[in-house]
Amino acid sequence: MNIDWLDAFLISGLFQVAMVTGLALLLHLQLGLARIANFGVVGFWGIGMYVFGVLYVKVDWPFGDPWQFLASAAIATFVAGVAGLLIGWLISDLNTDGVLVGTLGFATAVQILATTEDDFTGGALGMGGLDFPFDIGRVKDNEFLWLVIMVAVVAAILLYVWRVHRSPYGRLLIAVGGNEPLVRSLGKSTFRAKLWLFVVGSAGMGLLGAMNGVMVHYLDVGNVGVGVTLAAMVGLVLGGTARVWGGVVGVILTVGLFDIVVQSYLPLPEEWYSQAIPVLREAAFGLTLMLVLLFRPLGLLGDMRRDKLMGRIHGR
Amino acid sequence: MVADVVGAEAAVPAEAVTRPRIRVQGAVKSFSGRVVVDVDDLVLGDRPIQGLIGPNGAGKTTLMRMIMHSTSLDRGRIALLLASGGEVALSALPPNRMAGHGVVKSNQVIMDFDKLTIWDSLLLAVAEARYEQPHRIASERTVFDRHEGQIREYLEYFGFADPAAFAMSAGEKKLLDIVRCLLLRPTFLLLDEPTAGLPEELTEKVMAVVRDLAAGGTSVVIVEHDLNVIWSLCDEVLFMAEGSVILRGDPQAIRENRTVVEKYLGEGHV
Repeated sequence: MNIDWLDAFLISGLFQVAMVTGLALLLHLQLGLARIANFGVVGFWGIGMYVFGVLYVKVDWPFGDPWQFLASAAIATFVAGVAGLLIGWLISDLNTDGVLVGTLGFATAVQILATTEDDFTGGALGMGGLDFPFDIGRVKDNEFLWLVIMVAVVAAILLYVWRVHRSPYGRLLIAVGGNEPLVRSLGKSTFRAKLWLFVVGSAGMGLLGAMNGVMVHYLDVGNVGVGVTLAAMVGLVLGGTARVWGGVVGVILTVGLFDIVVQSYLPLPEEWYSQAIPVLREAAFGLTLMLVLLFRPLGLLGDMRRDKLMGRIHGR
Repeated sequence: MVADVVGAEAAVPAEAVTRPRIRVQGAVKSFSGRVVVDVDDLVLGDRPIQGLIGPNGAGKTTLMRMIMHSTSLDRGRIALLLASGGEVALSALPPNRMAGHGVVKSNQVIMDFDKLTIWDSLLLAVAEARYEQPHRIASERTVFDRHEGQIREYLEYFGFADPAAFAMSAGEKKLLDIVRCLLLRPTFLLLDEPTAGLPEELTEKVMAVVRDLAAGGTSVVIVEHDLNVIWSLCDEVLFMAEGSVILRGDPQAIRENRTVVEKYLGEGHV
């Protein structure tokens, strides 16, 4: 397959779009269905990326790739899931403000740990040595294959989320988001529901973080900032927090538009790329978030339509 | 405070059907220093259907919420006395464990899930916990097939206009709340103003269902301001005032009691 028309910048941009879409889809289950505003997305993502990086680079595995990658990624996913269990347990009885502060605090703690535990993570200097678990030729070919794998993983997440909407579990999450005391009165443990939601969501975010580590090759604490959470959150809110496709549409319109169209095709001054563009990106996302909340709070796709969905599944 | 007895509690004939009861001992609840409920020793469920009446602020709803542990007790103990002879300390259980022991309550204030349709809401009530796991994402058909008949029965009986849509009116939401409770197969059912906002025809249907349930061994306690429902439905009536049950007895005796007439009913009601 001839991929000469794809430049490295475009592959990287598409990878970002796919990865943030995956994060937005997982966030959708928490925010869109269960109404839990998780502002610690980057924390779980960062745990996955750093645990993967440390295991992949520092551990003397008795086997090489792809098993080295698979083992490291599986453990990183598991650790991110355990982090989700702990954070889910801590915030399960908190109100919206408490959840916001708790998850933000967790994300900050992850960034601080990544900086201070420099024996493991390389600290502020960063950590290199990560590579693709395969070698099919040119760097661009490897990157393109990794992009395809990421798109496949995100498609699997999309399918999972789509199925959740059509399952008793999804109904329970929507009910938890709507009226928690009423759910409890029906004999259901909202605590357990929220805990599982956080475990699965955080594990998925951790896996995406590990896969991002492979793509960037070099872990830098500067990447474990609020920008990752903001990108997923803004994309989801723009598309519609309550809709399965909300995250997909929103992330394409935000990350896709900015990281690909603006950065690749607009004639921006060369010197902007190192300093100004990341700042502009966050400012643009923040502005988008405000405008959407002001003028279209349900997002472009609007609210979920359970009546139509139930009609399709079970008939009227 | 021990409830006075009209028509002597001991004189109540023993029930042929053994049914669960709830015992409330030394239960106190205050809000901002004001004692709202102060029940010394009260057993509910001695008779199939008991009515709990009293003026606004008497503590009826708070007592029910204390039983369900959705309102915590300042002190005291509430226990479910099982028909089989065992005992479950309800006041030590989280609210989500009540339904598992058969103790179910409808809500005085309308409570619903805005984003769930009527069908959704009822499927939620009946879905077993094992199907509500993050890895059971293909179990919708199983849950639907297992419970469709039972749900359709109630939907048709109560005549929901469009069960595939959202509950719109207050009456529909109230009815939906009751059906959710019924689907949980309660052994002890607490109904807090179940017929408020319902048309007469539906009130009759709710009363008929309650009678059937009670005949089948379920204990029912009903708080209701529509006294016609109380007089026609209940086997025993408890009168509550200032946080305590101060009178109990058969409907006729309560209806004619001077205290009840003066504090609650008014002279014209007798």
